[in-house]
Amino acid sequence: MAVGLVYVFLLLPMVVVVLAAFNAGNYFTFPPQGFSLKWFANFFQRREFMQALWLSTELAFWTAAASTVIGTAAALVLVRGRFRGRDVLNAFVTSPLLLPQILTGVALLQFYTLLKMQASYSALLIGHIVVTTPYVIRTVTATLTHFDLALEEAAQSLGAHPVRAFFEITLGVIKPGVVAGAIFAFAISFDNFTLSLFLTSAKLTPLPIELFAYLKYSFDPTAAAVSAFAIGVALVLVLGIARFMGLEEFTGF
Amino acid sequence: MNRRARLLLLGPYVLLLVVFFVAPLLLMVGISLSRESFGRLEWALTLRHYVRFFTDSYYLSVLADTLWLGLLTTAATLLLGYPLAYHLALTRSRWKPLLIVFILSPLLVGIVIRCYGWMILLADRGLINATLVEHGWLTRPLPLMYNKFGVTVALVHVFLPFMVLSLTGVLKRIEPALIEASQTLGASPRRAFFEVTLPLSLPGILAGSLLVFSLAISSFVVPILIGGFKVHVLPMTVYEQVLSVFDWPFGAANAIVLLAISVALIGVYIKVTERALRGIV
Repeated sequence: MAVGLVYVFLLLPMVVVVLAAFNAGNYFTFPPQGFSLKWFANFFQRREFMQALWLSTELAFWTAAASTVIGTAAALVLVRGRFRGRDVLNAFVTSPLLLPQILTGVALLQFYTLLKMQASYSALLIGHIVVTTPYVIRTVTATLTHFDLALEEAAQSLGAHPVRAFFEITLGVIKPGVVAGAIFAFAISFDNFTLSLFLTSAKLTPLPIELFAYLKYSFDPTAAAVSAFAIGVALVLVLGIARFMGLEEFTGF
Repeated sequence: MNRRARLLLLGPYVLLLVVFFVAPLLLMVGISLSRESFGRLEWALTLRHYVRFFTDSYYLSVLADTLWLGLLTTAATLLLGYPLAYHLALTRSRWKPLLIVFILSPLLVGIVIRCYGWMILLADRGLINATLVEHGWLTRPLPLMYNKFGVTVALVHVFLPFMVLSLTGVLKRIEPALIEASQTLGASPRRAFFEVTLPLSLPGILAGSLLVFSLAISSFVVPILIGGFKVHVLPMTVYEQVLSVFDWPFGAANAIVLLAISVALIGVYIKVTERALRGIV
């Protein structure tokens, strides 16, 4: 019973946003004042929201692609390598996860400004890759630790080149972790607000920043439609992770 | 795996981190020690920005409020999160994957959206107040937003999943036989919980609390949107100094104070989780 109430608390704000998005009135009341799609229509007609949505999608895609490649490679060494300082390196590569993002954001803004690189697409992309790669390393590490090295060795003793053995054997086995990591990196980048805030400009605004700017001045349910859309995206991504890796494995339960 | 392969595989990410993570942070330390005159940065080694921070009563009260909100948030997430984690660790329900989705989904929904949900609920003309006033139970709306109460509620919501994840990990590893044994020896379920389960889950409690506290004191979307600039916290002063006042050295000094607190907490966190993993605590 008490547990049920905590679940209600967890889900309530999201449920309310989705209901408000489909509600006809300017203010969300209970019971709702009738079904309407006009807020979604407004969302899809506003150029600034469409541009922001496109930018966020593209950014999340490239972030996921880059961090998956870099993160998978790093995880391979961190799980299998036997060398001094491995524990230190392990802590080092996950440190962007632990540090508050506002600090990473401020530091990167000052760094980029002094390098005259501020408010550029590549600056934003690099920032996102830095904070999403540790998540990929984590999920790939989780699947890699179950992997039986004998399989790869067998392939090599049968004459396969180590690189070929990796792509044909190892990658096939650890694919769930790699795909789940990629999806998670996409989700983190797509929803990122704190880091982006410091690395954007008027011409370079991802969706969460656009939504934040909108909310500061108006309270109308177009914001709810944008939010409901993003919640839909998140839901699809969670289902993707569940499909590829299993949520219990993913969360370490 | 030989040295060359290791370098080739791990090198790119380590290089990325050194250039775009470590170097910017070191630069920020440098900026916090330098001077600003007429909008230009002058490199120097001065502690004046730190002295200003720690002698100005405004910034000290901001620091105190930040830590207080962090403490409240941590305590509340622990109280709400423990029953949830306990239930999740023990349940054999076939709905368990769905419960995990419920706990994870707030994590994957952007923070701006979650704040917006709370704005719809807590605003003066929001769902809760509007419903209460309409039914005549209230004449004036309750002050649910633009104060510390609203900020704490939203912070608890944002960081509860982290607490639940930390606790479930530890609770799952407790041997059920231990609890059964204590009950066979005559302990009531209540006593078994307080004398066996709770002490064994202490590492999870500590790890979760450190994580939530360090995340809560560095959150600034929640204070801005739910606090409406009426609740001032350290991340907001960092943001204002860097992006509105353009006083970079002082902004950097504010950030370093926050950084010092976080790094200290992270250090303890790593020690605690390491020991918890080895099962010594």
